[in-house]
Amino acid sequence: MKLPGVTVSSGTPGKTPDGAKDGTAPDCGASPEAAVSEFSALVREHQSMVFSIALHYLHDRESAEEVAQDVFLQLYRQKDRLSGPGHVTAWLRRVACHRSIDYARSHRLDPKIGLEELAEPASEERPGDPMLREKLRKLILSLSEKARMVMILRYQEDLDPEEIARELEMPVSTVKSHLQRSLAMLREKFGRALGGSLG
Amino acid sequence: MSRLDDELSNELKKALRREEPPVGFEARLMARLSSESKRETGLARWFKLALPRFPMMSRLAFASVLCLMVVAGVHYERERQERVEGEAAKAKLMQALRVTGTELQAMREKVMASSGDRAAGE
Repeated sequence: MKLPGVTVSSGTPGKTPDGAKDGTAPDCGASPEAAVSEFSALVREHQSMVFSIALHYLHDRESAEEVAQDVFLQLYRQKDRLSGPGHVTAWLRRVACHRSIDYARSHRLDPKIGLEELAEPASEERPGDPMLREKLRKLILSLSEKARMVMILRYQEDLDPEEIARELEMPVSTVKSHLQRSLAMLREKFGRALGGSLG
Repeated sequence: MSRLDDELSNELKKALRREEPPVGFEARLMARLSSESKRETGLARWFKLALPRFPMMSRLAFASVLCLMVVAGVHYERERQERVEGEAAKAKLMQALRVTGTELQAMREKVMASSGDRAAGE
């Protein structure tokens, strides 16, 4: 049965300007070929979001692909329960977050790099420098699991604290506190390099 | 917000921008989907595919009926066991009464016989 008021957007990979809040589950009552085709369209539309959440959280492409595939397989199994525009995107984002956290816990993927091990950015590193971005990623990896996911949802998905609180099922005040503490740490670590360039 | 914060925010957005998964991601996913679908057979397939098609109320009603059947079954089994135990106790009692009756009859015959001998002797 076709879900009312629901269409599958073919969508381009990557983030849409409105935060990729369109899309829906594949039509469960259609022929198997049509269902698979709709599912493929959903995968293409959302794969970069799901993969990137896992990649930025785990900092390992192989593990991120494994998590992303598990998320989409779960979507396929539960497709009948999802309906309405935005439902699939929100569901995928939430499941990607929780699966990444679970994966890191079960595989004991603790961050290998502590804050003290990261060298201060060299004075020649400037905004836009790929090395600087890689160090930022490593610093984010050194954050606690919740703080790390808050940063990913804030800066990758461009969600506001209220939306992040809903996704991670935590109070808004906790989200804001994670953001403030993480930004303070990053500001302290990279202030010199960034400030120098703004001179 | 200071320029430093703006710059940090921009750098974070760039560092955490979305990335495309490795080439062949979709093909590998579809291959996994296909192999997992083939594994789902028999009862597992029924539970996975058919059960979610029933509305929640139907599933709750089915679960309630199942619970009632289990409770009724346990109750019936307990009653049956009590009935069997009662029958066994009754059979034992009847057996005991029969034995007692036979012995009483034997005693009575002995008493009668001895009182008959005494009367004949006098």
